[in-house]
Amino acid sequence: MKETRLGDFEETILLLVGILGEEAYAFKIAEEFESQTERPVSIGAVHSTLSRLGDKGFLKSEMSSSTAERGGRRKRIYTITASGQSALAASRDFKLSLWKQYPDFAADNLNWEILS
Amino acid sequence: MKSKENTTKSNHNLPPPLAEKFLCWFLKAELAEEVLGDLDEKFYSVLEKQSPFRAKINYWYQVFNYLRPFAIRHSITGNLNQYAMFQNYVLIGWRNLLRNKMYSAIKIGGFTLGITACFLIALYMRDELSYDQFYTNKGNIYRVYNEFKNEEHDEKWLSFPASMAKIMKNDYPEVEKSGRLIPYDFFFAGGNQFRRENQEQNTYEEGFVYADQNLLEILEIPMIYGNQETALAEPNTIVISRNKAEKYFPGQNPVGETIILNEEVSRPFKIGGVMENFPSNSHLNYDFLLTLTGEEFWEGEQTTWGAWNYNVYVQLVDGTNPLDLEEKLDAIKETYYVGYLRETGDQTLADVEKYQKFRLQPVPDIYLRSTGMHDIAKTGDIRFVWLFGVVALFILLLACINFINLSTAKSANRAREVGLRKVLGSYKSHLISQFLTESMLYSLISFVLGIALAGLVLPLFNRLSGKSMIFPWNEWWLIPFILLCAGVIGLLAGIYPSFYLSGFKPIEILKGNLSRGSKSSGIRSTMVVFQFAISIILIIGTFVIYRQMQFILNTKLGYDKEQVVMIQGINTLGAKQISFKSELKRLPEVQNVTISDFLPVEGTKRDQNPFWKEGKSKEDKSVGVQKWQVDEDYISTMGMKIIDGRDFEEEMSSDSQAIIINQKMAHELGLENPVGVRIQNWQVYTIVGVVEDFHFESLKGEIRPLCFIKNNYGSIVSVKVKSEDMKSALQSVTAVWDEFAPNQPIRYTFLDESYARMYEDVQQTGRIFTSFAVLAVIIACLGLFALSAFMVEQRRKEISIRKVLGASFNNLFGMLTFNYLKLVLIALVIAAPVGWYLMQEWLNDYEYKISITWDVFFIAGLITVIIAVLTISYESIRAVRKNPAASLRSE
Repeated sequence: MKETRLGDFEETILLLVGILGEEAYAFKIAEEFESQTERPVSIGAVHSTLSRLGDKGFLKSEMSSSTAERGGRRKRIYTITASGQSALAASRDFKLSLWKQYPDFAADNLNWEILS
Repeated sequence: MKSKENTTKSNHNLPPPLAEKFLCWFLKAELAEEVLGDLDEKFYSVLEKQSPFRAKINYWYQVFNYLRPFAIRHSITGNLNQYAMFQNYVLIGWRNLLRNKMYSAIKIGGFTLGITACFLIALYMRDELSYDQFYTNKGNIYRVYNEFKNEEHDEKWLSFPASMAKIMKNDYPEVEKSGRLIPYDFFFAGGNQFRRENQEQNTYEEGFVYADQNLLEILEIPMIYGNQETALAEPNTIVISRNKAEKYFPGQNPVGETIILNEEVSRPFKIGGVMENFPSNSHLNYDFLLTLTGEEFWEGEQTTWGAWNYNVYVQLVDGTNPLDLEEKLDAIKETYYVGYLRETGDQTLADVEKYQKFRLQPVPDIYLRSTGMHDIAKTGDIRFVWLFGVVALFILLLACINFINLSTAKSANRAREVGLRKVLGSYKSHLISQFLTESMLYSLISFVLGIALAGLVLPLFNRLSGKSMIFPWNEWWLIPFILLCAGVIGLLAGIYPSFYLSGFKPIEILKGNLSRGSKSSGIRSTMVVFQFAISIILIIGTFVIYRQMQFILNTKLGYDKEQVVMIQGINTLGAKQISFKSELKRLPEVQNVTISDFLPVEGTKRDQNPFWKEGKSKEDKSVGVQKWQVDEDYISTMGMKIIDGRDFEEEMSSDSQAIIINQKMAHELGLENPVGVRIQNWQVYTIVGVVEDFHFESLKGEIRPLCFIKNNYGSIVSVKVKSEDMKSALQSVTAVWDEFAPNQPIRYTFLDESYARMYEDVQQTGRIFTSFAVLAVIIACLGLFALSAFMVEQRRKEISIRKVLGASFNNLFGMLTFNYLKLVLIALVIAAPVGWYLMQEWLNDYEYKISITWDVFFIAGLITVIIAVLTISYESIRAVRKNPAASLRSE
């Protein structure tokens, strides 16, 4: 049976795929990841995660039509599947419910002094 | 630069082709297009912001990051599939190992022994080869030596006149530094009574040498206190080792302190520095370096070419060819030495001009490549290093042979497996790799055991070889080294059996046509012969070395070394020496007493002098003679024999001109009736007696000319003890000593022990050879045992049937043993001449040696045969005595 839980890095990548839409291919996703998180990542690592998400059924992919750039080579564009969407939603809802249980959720009410 | 970059942009700023190629090689074909595209885009996006170089580095980085399971093509990860097969091989190998416990134990046991021996020898060789390799400047430092070479002589020696070092430094720009060393017993060099100036108690210390300040720098002697550039620069300074500093000045910096040697209060030495102890793998090993700065031992000593007492070390300018410099050194000989000889009218002049050369020996070569050099330092011998290496390899080879023999002999048991695997689609290559895996498994197990065993017996081996090696547990290379060697050995031992086993034809096997294990018995026999030949050669070697040692210890030396005690350090008694001697003589246990520093064992004083017949010093060639200063009791105490003339006499004052020579000297001087003849060196002596030749040097060389002159002073008194009770004699002697020198503990050695110590290297070689021989025999017997057990097992039914039909015990036993006995006898025939030749070579080092007689071979052969028969008979007897019904019942 395939593992269907969503890891942290996977979740981020999945979100980025959604954000990038038509432009969601490995290089762009890696660039976007680096600029949004300011953490370096290799294309290989992203690609490997994308293919894993594909195996889990959260993503599907198609080759784009070829363009003049990249020496005429085509790109693999990823799109989120319905189960990908619901996995993202489930993950968000789960975290929100956790945050709701967190005492004095409002940040300005947090009593930092106790901690220090 | 910038513009150039722009014009060549099309070439320069492409992704690195090699990286692309590499990527395409391992990447799944269906991913190639998108990935290449992505990486391309990445490359150009980096290029916009950073240098082409950074972009290329980044490209490589990205490529390596695609080395992930999802992206790598299957033909490369294909061996992951084989991994399962590999696991299966190991499993099957392991089961086989457990199923045949005895055979496995013999295979592994033999291997383990072989590996232990090899590893210990490797450590030994490593230690021997590490001598003097630690100088940062080792390519440029040399020791100067003399070579005298013509048809009759080939002599090499190290001593030079005092001025040699300075001349080399001044006359040759190639010589950067030169320094001198006096390692011989010479004034304070050697052993001395030592005390701090502010203390009274004397302690005897050895390891004093004279050295130049420059020597500290040339030999890179590390200093703990004091400065390497100045420690010996002042007259009357001394550098002591860390050990001695800790002994006499615990916990303090002794630089500047004063010490007294031999109670010579008028000449104190100031400590100029403390050096690190010499490492055990240095050719030098001293504790006290006395400075040569400002030292002149007698008037004119520093300039004369008549006294040769210094060893010279030089450091050459980087890039100097030592051979070229050696050629140029002839000029020194011409200008200085030949000049001196001409002046004194010495007849050796012509020979010196023709045959003597000053040469350079690299310091790292000193320890192992000084064969034939007259040197008092302990040296090894490169020939023995290689010999041991070869022997160790042979022992390992014996273990490999066991493995091969047993694997092929037991092949029948694996034949069905091979057949079945083939039927199910195994290629021959698969089977080969299976059996190789198995042999590697054995080899790895044996290596782990062998290395552990080596670690355990290392202390024992250290005692055998006189070394103090440490096991390299912590070295980084140990594990990779073990793995590599295990692999190589596994391959070596496994390659023949694996080809042999994998070559079986499945149809024949499964039909049951394979004759069980009898195939290739020719090769097996050859290997058994080889194993035993090696064992017998080693046994012969052991015997010959042992006999030579017995010969050395028991040969007639021309003097009596038993029951003689040498009390050292009596020079501090000064004028009281004579009364000390007469006190000792009065003891009832003492037979005789003599004072002399010259004794016929190594480590005592020597003194080379040229001698001529009187008045012939300008006409005849000189005879090189040991001139020993002894007292009138020397010859009788040592049990030497006067064969002509008389001994020295106590009262005769004219004996100050008298000289006693040995037979060899009489012969070299060409004297038929030597008594009464007058001879000279710097002064004239009259020969009063001739002493029978006695061995005063190692038996490796022949007896050389020697003479005695009379003298009553020395630092060693030798006491010949009358009674058998050495203990009580020593007590009385010690009591007398304590009266004379209450501040100095008595120090004595026994003459026979000192003598035996001269041949320690022979004994070591003997002991190492013995252990080798024992190991080889054990391994060979293990193999023979397993083979015979196997054969007996194969012929179990035949034996039973024969027994039922009335064969006697002797018949059957003879039948089972004779085959193997034949092999051992063939081995003996092969081994005897080889062993004889090798040991003859070894004995050639000795001028006085045993001859190898036939009984050596006979005994070696007999021992081997007996051991072999015992080995075989265990299984044979068991088989023969078995109830035949037991093995025939099932038919």
